[in-house]
Amino acid sequence: MSDHIVEVKNVSKSFNGKIVLNGLTLNVPKGSVFGLLGKNGSGKTTLIKCLLGLLKPHKGDVVTIGDNPLKLKNETKEKLGYVPQSDRIYPWLTVRQAINYTASFYSDWDVELVNKLVSAWELKDTDKVGLMSEGQVQKLSIILSLGHKPELLVFDEPVASLDPTARRQFIKMILDLVADRECTVFFSTHITTDLERVADRVALLKDGKIDFCGELDELKDEVKRLKVTSSDPITGNIDVEGVLSCEILNNEAVISVRGFNERMKKELEDKYKGEVSVENLNLEEIFLELNR
Amino acid sequence: MESKAKYYFQIATTSGVPIYRQIIDQVKILIATKKLPKGEFLPSVRQVATELEINPMTASKAYSLLEKEGVLEFVRGQGMKVKESDLPGESLEQMENEIMPLLNEVVAKSKQLSLRPNRIIEMLKSLLKEIGNE
Repeated sequence: MSDHIVEVKNVSKSFNGKIVLNGLTLNVPKGSVFGLLGKNGSGKTTLIKCLLGLLKPHKGDVVTIGDNPLKLKNETKEKLGYVPQSDRIYPWLTVRQAINYTASFYSDWDVELVNKLVSAWELKDTDKVGLMSEGQVQKLSIILSLGHKPELLVFDEPVASLDPTARRQFIKMILDLVADRECTVFFSTHITTDLERVADRVALLKDGKIDFCGELDELKDEVKRLKVTSSDPITGNIDVEGVLSCEILNNEAVISVRGFNERMKKELEDKYKGEVSVENLNLEEIFLELNR
Repeated sequence: MESKAKYYFQIATTSGVPIYRQIIDQVKILIATKKLPKGEFLPSVRQVATELEINPMTASKAYSLLEKEGVLEFVRGQGMKVKESDLPGESLEQMENEIMPLLNEVVAKSKQLSLRPNRIIEMLKSLLKEIGNE
């Protein structure tokens, strides 16, 4: 098997003629914590469903844990954990019943981990799922996805309904999982601060394609805000490769660029006979700049 | 040994500076200020990751880059320690390049606040005295 636990090649998917994924290619390396970023409606959930075989792409190939997602073998399903954006667990079951029910489908179930999380997240065994809040159901849903020790965990907006305490516990849990055993975590989110903590790789989904895919650190090294202070008033737009945005006021210009390097800085300094200062951007700012 | 990593490192996850680089910078500062003496062992990658709640790959990347630079040394079965021999010191130019952007920021800020240049120099001097570098 290859080093990628998920391989997506030239995948296209549209709904009623509206193109959502447009020849998208993406590889998820084994053992990574992979964050998928994108605006609302950018196709994150569609992509996730294609990985899991819940949707059939119109074009292209997907390989998930070495298997065709549309015909997953049972042994592959045992290696897969998935938490959808909003999970529908049978409302008439209690927490404990839901756990026992789910456990019965798998040959190997980590009772210890499950019980640890149930108590850490303050879920009560006897509570009825139908009466729990959205956040509590999400916690239960995450716990249920972990019990069978999956090799690949796929979360669609896992922290959307979690409070800050639970979010932190969730992050800690992910880190424990990847530190302890061979586990790949693939999750979509638009809460960038969480992603910054745990993800080692990110992909940005935009216009049906992957706009950036790589190490989070690379992304931070690549996208910068530059302040150009020229000796003369600046006219026209700043012309340099990879400009994302540009604001000019007299002899100062603030530009955001991708593909930043020292040569670019020098080039600007020479061209505008002035100084260029480089400002680092955090993931949220990068997200905003790239989605302009 | 408890929460050693938290004691050594302060990580700002939402800063624009990549986390691995924050660790690298802080290790160098800790060594320069003798808070990490030669031969001292650093917290393990696992410790750093769980205590600071960051990805273990990030912690391990920082350590291995520091090892490559000759700042740290890996001892089998024991972990990473500060190299015993003298650091292969960066060239003066390299060091100046590193500090320049920070000084630029100081200059820009003091201009905004209309602080007298002499005052800035005094402040800098007293800071330098504090770390016994004068």
